[in-house]
Amino acid sequence: MSYDELDHILSREEEILPSSGFATSVMEAVRREAATPPPIPFPWKRALPLLIGTGVALAVALVAGIVVVARWGGTATSMELSLPLMSVLRRTLEGGLIVAAGWVVLALLLTLASVTFSMRIASDRA
Amino acid sequence: MEAGSGLNPGDDQANVEKVLAGDVSAFERIVRRWQGPLINLAYRFCHDRGRAEEMAQEAFLRAYRALGQWHKDAAFSTWLFALATNLYCSELRRTPFPTVPLEAAAEPRDSRAPDGGLEERDRDRAVRRAVAALPRKYREALILFYFHGMDVPAAAQSLGLPEGTVKARLFRAREILRGKLPLLLAAPRLKEA
Repeated sequence: MSYDELDHILSREEEILPSSGFATSVMEAVRREAATPPPIPFPWKRALPLLIGTGVALAVALVAGIVVVARWGGTATSMELSLPLMSVLRRTLEGGLIVAAGWVVLALLLTLASVTFSMRIASDRA
Repeated sequence: MEAGSGLNPGDDQANVEKVLAGDVSAFERIVRRWQGPLINLAYRFCHDRGRAEEMAQEAFLRAYRALGQWHKDAAFSTWLFALATNLYCSELRRTPFPTVPLEAAAEPRDSRAPDGGLEERDRDRAVRRAVAALPRKYREALILFYFHGMDVPAAAQSLGLPEGTVKARLFRAREILRGKLPLLLAAPRLKEA
């Protein structure tokens, strides 16, 4: 079979006509779409300072962690390093119950604040 | 295929601007103008009338949502066909229409044919089945090439591919077809002999 024959056959593909209600059906769907309120965009302006603050806090915590580990590492071998770290952990777990409770309360307050904040934004937009 | 004939491209732009300004009814003129080409393009991909209309409806809806993204550097039709092609290809990747292996795609011989061979209609059908059995990337290039009246740049724009890639795929697709079709068309005769 030659290219010309192929071209000839494939060029005369049968044409179909749209069914009578096609345009109406599309327009119904489009009108439904138009009537739906647009999705609420993420409030970048309000959230950006909070996100940046969180990012900076995380970075600071990470750097502080690295500095602490590096200081321990500078004075001790890996075997010696694990012992002071274990003692720090033990002290934290044993003596810091009140401190830990404080952190939990703070986390809960932050969660409550963020939920209230989101709900207020959503109700402003609606 | 002659798409959206009888109106000039400025009408599309005017309608798009009206829709973007909030006149939803102006979109109906876009639908009426392009419904034929979009349904026929979908039909070439799936060969199922009902599914072609469903896919075309979805393409119009997506076009409506994305109307603001049409930068008037390209014709509205180019943008619309690219959007529709992208949708049709992904739809068919998700739920492909049933195809048969290329070797098994031969039509049964029409016994009414006086010369004992395939009639033209049967041969056309066999070719189309062979096209449907091609690997996806070759099939898509071939469908778009013939849909756009054998226009490689238009097919390339619809597929979002460089012209060179489309040319290479077309060449390979036609080579595969040319290699397989004599065997395909002879199959019923061999079976009967």
